[in-house]
Formats: sequence, structure tokens, C-alpha cells
Amino acid sequence: MMSENKDKDAKTHGVLYIGMDLGTSRTSVSASNGVRETVCSVVGYPKDVVSQKLLKKDVLFGKEALEKRLSLRMYKPLEKGVLKYTGEAKDQEAKANLKAAQDLIGEAIRLAKPRADELVYCVIGAPAEASVKNREAIVEAAKAHVDAVMLCSEPFSVAYGMEMLEDVLVVDIGAGTTDLCRMHGTMPEEADQIMFDVAGDAVDAVLAKRIEQSCPGAQFTIQMVKDLKERWSFVGDAPEKCLVELPVDGKPTQFDLTDQIRAACSILIDPICKGITKLIATFDPEFQARLKNRVLLAGGGSMIRGLDTAIEKAMKERLGGGKVLRIEEPIYGGANGALKIAHDMPADYWEQLR
Amino acid sequence: MGGLKDSMRDAIKQLAFRTSVDRLKKQGVTQVNVLGLDRIAALIEAAVHRSLKSRLVGADREVVADATKAEFLRLLRSNEDLLREKSEVERMRERAEEELDALRRDLAQQQSALKLKLERLDPAAAGRWHGEDGAIAGKVAAIVQALANGGPTSADDVQRRLTELVMDVVSDERRDAEAARQALIDRDVAAMQRRIEKLTGSLSLTEHKLQQLSAQHSLDSGISSIYREVQGLAPGDERAETKKGMMAAILEANLRLQKRGTA
Ligand SMILES: Nc1ncnc2c1ncn2[C@@H]1O[C@H](COP(=O)(O)OP(=O)(O)OP(=O)(O)O)[C@@H](O)[C@H]1O
Repeated sequence: MMSENKDKDAKTHGVLYIGMDLGTSRTSVSASNGVRETVCSVVGYPKDVVSQKLLKKDVLFGKEALEKRLSLRMYKPLEKGVLKYTGEAKDQEAKANLKAAQDLIGEAIRLAKPRADELVYCVIGAPAEASVKNREAIVEAAKAHVDAVMLCSEPFSVAYGMEMLEDVLVVDIGAGTTDLCRMHGTMPEEADQIMFDVAGDAVDAVLAKRIEQSCPGAQFTIQMVKDLKERWSFVGDAPEKCLVELPVDGKPTQFDLTDQIRAACSILIDPICKGITKLIATFDPEFQARLKNRVLLAGGGSMIRGLDTAIEKAMKERLGGGKVLRIEEPIYGGANGALKIAHDMPADYWEQLR
Repeated sequence: MGGLKDSMRDAIKQLAFRTSVDRLKKQGVTQVNVLGLDRIAALIEAAVHRSLKSRLVGADREVVADATKAEFLRLLRSNEDLLREKSEVERMRERAEEELDALRRDLAQQQSALKLKLERLDPAAAGRWHGEDGAIAGKVAAIVQALANGGPTSADDVQRRLTELVMDVVSDERRDAEAARQALIDRDVAAMQRRIEKLTGSLSLTEHKLQQLSAQHSLDSGISSIYREVQGLAPGDERAETKKGMMAAILEANLRLQKRGTA
């Protein structure tokens, strides 16, 4: 007969490692069976029995939830990189968000397609700032589906995945937060990390405002703004004209959004440069030059065209120079790194957490 | 050796996952390195041969080759076992589904039979007969009264009154029969209701079983990891020391967090 997921004795087939990047806007997994999946971090529950019968599901995730949102109660359980649930809040909304976060983590693990007869070890890259209550909630949610789980800081896992363990400065531009992390061969500490909330969502908000001001009558939602940002994003010299169609009184109308998109994306440059400057200025002077030349852009925001050049330019003014690299796979950087950590973790370490 | 090559090719194919160019683009991948299945299989084979050749002397080589063959056969067997288990679960699932359908049909039948019975139980009829009974009783009293009084009686009159009397008897019979029928119906209805309750119970039980089976099924059809054992840092890793320190720090932080949670 089939065995239960947690049955240790039946797990004779192999060991599956899962690396997870739990993000505000999307959650990605990378696993040692070759699976790589990503899901928008939204969870929807049928509003009533009728919708439930119709949808034939108790819970929907990501794109599917967004498509059926009219018959769903929707939750975006992470905000500014952390769970909206704080552990203290007792109200319904907080509880519902916690459940949504737990269901999302469960779904992410299911997406990795673990076998029932394999030992499953999972490392989750979580924001460095997540509270203890928050981390506990994440661990609890994951433990229901895996044999052991570890959390580690998100920018750290990005750097680890790229084998950049010394003298590198990771700039992870997410949806809710931008995280800067200085690596110097040991685990980064509080002083090595800076976080602020000028990130993807903030760019969307500024872009929405600019469109509202400059395109009279244009109708749009914040999701449409996000989509067109992801299609056209750039800073500095425009690589092309951003000609975008938006409905005006229901009729598709073309607008040139080149300036608006440049302006919105550019809000990231200054705070990032300030953060970089601070982390370099407080580093061992002997290694400052090396750190300056190894700034690594990661996260969805690193896909903004021209951002590396723009930051290099600003660093030249403030720090006399610097070199900015871009991660090859912005979407899976965190998950790949977490997977590598899971793999490298000694067996007896995992045992201690089972 | 061709069979082994084909099996290797199949195994690699199973480990691979499918995606589209558009999907990769969306995920931010702009360039991919392409390596054909045959080439990968050939590389693995070559690597195995080379390492066997360089590391082993003749006798060992055979031992390792035998062990490898055995391991390969074991893997194939475990795959077959899993396939068998999978089809077993599928069969159980089909059976549960059939059972569920039969239960549903039975329940629907019982419910419509009950509905029919209840419709036949016309409450208006009872009321009507009640009224008739009263009238007949009145007429009997009148005949008795007239006969007792010895008043004038024609043949017609007697015939009419006698008919009324017979009707009275018939009505009594009718009432008794109706009462018996009513009792029967009551018993039938109660029995049917009990049966429906039971059916509903087993229906939800079977549904639950089916759900469990489905859940098991989806768990089982996972994709195998490429690792048979827990890995850990590669012994030859240049930065093993640095990484070891980092792993220890991650473990420590997690022990603190997770032991706190369970304390
Ligand atoms: N091509 C693109 N140009 C600009 N921004 C993009 C592009 N693609 C994705 N993004 C943005 O990147 C952000 C998502 O990045 P990422 O997935 O790294 O964040 P996250 O991990 O979900 O969030 P956080 O790290 O804050 O929890 C979103 O704001 C998204 O709009």
C-alpha cells in the first residue's frame, strides 16, 4: 500500500532537493529533478458554494487565480517581502493571509513534483528582514510537505548560487523590496545588508501616476501598468520608442510612453547608489576597490535595460568608478542558489532538523 | 550495448522537462545551450568507460561492471514496481468511482420512490371520509329511531335506509383498510428514509476515499531526483572550508528558529 509522505522508512528511492524563492510578486522553485517552476504569489478561494462547484477547486493560485478573480476571494500573502501575518494580529484578515501563504508554499512544493518515496529537503530564500514569527510561519507551512526545511537570506542565496562568496555586492531588485547584501566569505550579518521599499511595485505606482497625468482619458489597471513596464522598461538612452495602446472610452488609442517609463524606472537608481556607497564605504578599505568592481544586479528589476550602465555612471560620480554585472537568470537566481545550498548542506545537518 | 544506450537515452529523456521558447523568454532566459540526448548519453558512456579504464585494473573492472549492471537492473525493477503500484491505484480509483456512481443511482431511485409514495398519501381523502362517516352515523341513528318509533315505512323508504346502512358498513371497512394502509405507508416511509440516510453516508465515505486515492495518485506521479543519496559538499570543492562555515551558520540559525517553535 502507499505510504504517507512523512514515513521515513518508505523513503528509499532518492533525495530531492528543492530551492525556493518566496517573493512578493512571484514564488519560484528549482529542484534536483530538473523541475523549475514559477507562480505569481497570489491565492484565491471561491467566494461561495456556487463558485466552488463551478471551479471544482478549493483554492487557486497564480495566473489561474488572477483569471478567475471575479468569483474568488483574493490574497497576496506577502507584502514588502514578508508575510502580512505578524503572529500578533488576531483578526480574520491576518489569519486568512497566513493560510494563503501556507497554501502558496504548499503549491510551490507540489510544483516541484516530489515523489512520495523520496526524501525531500528544501531551502527557502526569505527576506533578511522577516520577523521571527514570520519565519516560523514559513517553516511551519513548508514542514507540512517536506522532510526538513531551512531558511536563508534571499540575496545570500543569489550570491551562493553564483559562487560569488567573497567581495561581491548583491543588489536584488524585487517587487516589494530592494535588498543589498555584501559578501565577504562568511555569513553576512546585519551590517552587511540594506533593504528599502523602492522596488518594482514602487516603479509601477510612479508609472501609473505619470500615465494618469499625461494621457487624459486613458483607462488602465495597475496590472496593465506592470505588464507594460515589464515589456518596455529601460533607463538612460531609449533603445526604442515605447508606443503603447491603452483604451480611451473603450477605443484602443496609441500613446508614446517613452519618457514616463524612463522616469518611473529611474527612481531605482538613486537609492541603490546610496546603498552601494554606504556598504562600500564601511567595508575594509583594503578590499573596497574589489567590492566596487563586483556589484551584481539580481531579481526581476535587474531586467530593466540600461540599469547596469546607469548605476556604473552614478558610481563613477560618487565613488570614482565601479563595475556592475547582471545575473544571467533573474527569475531563478534565488531558487537556484537555494537549491545549491540544499545540495551542499551535510547530511547530518539535515538530520538535525527532521 | 545498444539496449543500454537506448535505456540511458530514455532515462535522460525522463529527467528532462518540457518548456517553450516563449516561456523561457518570459523567464528572462535569452540564450540556451543545446545538447542532444544522444550526445549526452554518449558523453555519460564515455565518461564511465574512461574512469573505469583509468582507475581500475582488470579484475576490479569486471566487479564494477557487474555491480553497475546490477544497479541498472535494480533501477529498472524499481521503476516497474512503481508502474505497477500506479496502475493498482488507478484500478482502485476506478472501482471507487463505479461504486460511487452505483450509490448515486440507488439514492436517486430511493428518493423518487419516496416522493411517489408521499404524493399518493392524499391528505384530502382522509378528511372527506371523515365527513362521510359522520353523515352515515347520523342516518343509522335515524333508521333505528324510525324503526323503534314504529312510524310509517314504505318499501322504498326501507330500501333507501338499508342502502344507507350497507354504505355505513362499507365505510367502516374502508376506514379500517385505510388505517392499515396508512400504517404500512408510515413503516415504508421510515424504512426508506433510513435507507436514504445510509446511502448518503456511504456516498460521502466513498467520495472521501476517492479523494484520498486521487491525492495519493498525484503524489506518486512525481519526477525522480537525480540523487540517490544525500549529497553534501563535494570533497574536491576549492572553497569547501568557506562553504562549510556558511552551512554551519545557516544550520545554527535554523536550529534556533525551529527548536524555538517546537519548545
Ligand atoms: N523586464 C522587466 N523589467 C522591469 N521590471 C521587471 C521585469 N520583469 C519583472 N520585473 C519586475 O520585477 C519584480 C519582481 O521581481 P522578483 O520576482 O525578483 O521579486 P519578488 O521576489 O517577487 O519580490 P520581493 O523580492 O520583493 O519579495 C516585479 O516588480 C516585476 O514587475
